[in-house]
Amino acid sequence: MIAVERLATTWALFQALLVEAMPFLLIGVALSTLARWISPGGKWVRDLPAHPLLGPLSGAALGFALPACECGNVPMARHLLVKGAPIATALGFLFAAPVLNPIVLASTWAAFPDQPWLLAARPLGALLIAVCLATLLRLLPERELLQPALLEERRLSQPLGEVTLLERRSGLIGVPAGAAVPALGGSSRRPPLGQVLSHGGSEFLELALLLVMGCAIAALVQTVVPRQWLIAVGGTPTLSILSLMLLSLVVSVCSSVDAFLALGFAAQVTPGAVLAFLLLGPVMDLKLVGLFGILLRPRAILLTAGAASLVVLLIGQWVNLLLL
Amino acid sequence: MGQSASALSPGRLKALALALWGVALLQSALSGRLDLLLRAVFHPLVWGSGILLLLLAAVEISGRWSDGSRASGRWTSLLSIGAALAVLALPPRPSFADLAANRQANLLEEPGLSFVLPPAQRSLTDWVRLLRAEPDPRLYAGDPVRISGFVLPMPGEEPHLARLLVRCCLVDAVPVGLPVRWPAGQPQPRADQWLRLEGVMVSETVGERQRSVVDARLVEPIPRPRQPLEP
Repeated sequence: MIAVERLATTWALFQALLVEAMPFLLIGVALSTLARWISPGGKWVRDLPAHPLLGPLSGAALGFALPACECGNVPMARHLLVKGAPIATALGFLFAAPVLNPIVLASTWAAFPDQPWLLAARPLGALLIAVCLATLLRLLPERELLQPALLEERRLSQPLGEVTLLERRSGLIGVPAGAAVPALGGSSRRPPLGQVLSHGGSEFLELALLLVMGCAIAALVQTVVPRQWLIAVGGTPTLSILSLMLLSLVVSVCSSVDAFLALGFAAQVTPGAVLAFLLLGPVMDLKLVGLFGILLRPRAILLTAGAASLVVLLIGQWVNLLLL
Repeated sequence: MGQSASALSPGRLKALALALWGVALLQSALSGRLDLLLRAVFHPLVWGSGILLLLLAAVEISGRWSDGSRASGRWTSLLSIGAALAVLALPPRPSFADLAANRQANLLEEPGLSFVLPPAQRSLTDWVRLLRAEPDPRLYAGDPVRISGFVLPMPGEEPHLARLLVRCCLVDAVPVGLPVRWPAGQPQPRADQWLRLEGVMVSETVGERQRSVVDARLVEPIPRPRQPLEP
């Protein structure tokens, strides 16, 4: 009987996560579809700075122009990479824009109006994480970082000075262009709106399937692991940070509302732990693992998870040292 | 044979998958499922997404645009259709008591009451917030209580009457409950059952601490309210 109830609750949690995240995913797909239609060649994307520091910073700044939470961010980051954006810029956007956008900053302010340090620390921390992750991941060759299908599309947008015909694997030699890459490829002619919408539909279905997988895992873990375990160690500085980092991975709520959730337990844990919760969730959680699979190779995802956790832990410790 | 192959063409499968996701979102909104899953402020997003997905399906059905870019398109569509059908066919039926048992009960932030309603008009959540702001039981002894909620079993004591508070969706729900002195001679209420209680607030001693308890005089089973989650 308890097992049946538990199963019913898991199914309800799964649906709650899915219907909450799906509109944001669709907003992200709509933005990338719109960008594809307005600027089919995407030349401006290739002109973004590739500098190790300026790249992630300009990518993060794009979050203000293209506000989306972490789910909606994935299709937009994919669009940037396909159009040949510098790796550092696209990764900066992927990791920082879920925090550095007006909606998320407003919700953080609404939840913590009397904590000005948190309003400053959250965007600054997100920037620092994005710079660190972009610096680390760009050390990997693109073929070890990006998913093969994405890499193949990206090659078509890169100038021949940077990529050889053999690396492109399509077009003049290799497989026929139409079979391996989207018809929209690297052409700079504006395609018909219907064709762009059809492409957006395909992108949505692909990502929705990964979202379903992530939501299922997150719902299952939430039902199986009692939440009390995760915040039982609230008073101890290091353990409280680690436990809230774990909670942010498991809960998988959208970055536009996570501040309200953090408000609920802010009084029971250390300030560094609250900040760690608000910083790690937008970069990595169980729901996102599937979605990242469309951009990055498994090794790069593991590297992202490990490095993001380490940086967040250090930021949380530093904040606790300052404020406790 | 040729007809069935055409009916299952990648374009049509994709249109069906998009339409089913659209219908699943709209049906969640129309059937009231959303009230059980998500705070009302997010409902327009779900409506809008459902309509947008149906429009995308219509573009696909028109059939003039084929996006033959992805070799995995057919499988993606088939799996999507399966997932959307499951969401459509199996409505969420969470056990609130089971969910609450897995959440810390005292996770409510410091209350910010702007005014206090007369006792008989206070909801369960109003009572909990008031008792947290001013816990002295002597202030409320004898006040009439009319509240509704679900039965939440508590380890080592009688079940509480509780509600779930949400910030965003069911995932972040936290329980708030009031201890109840159930009428003598009646069977214990079962977990997750929705009840309406009438009674008075009394003071009782637990250990060395005084606390407010609802002394229930009338206990009436009710169906689960249309909007069971509270902000």
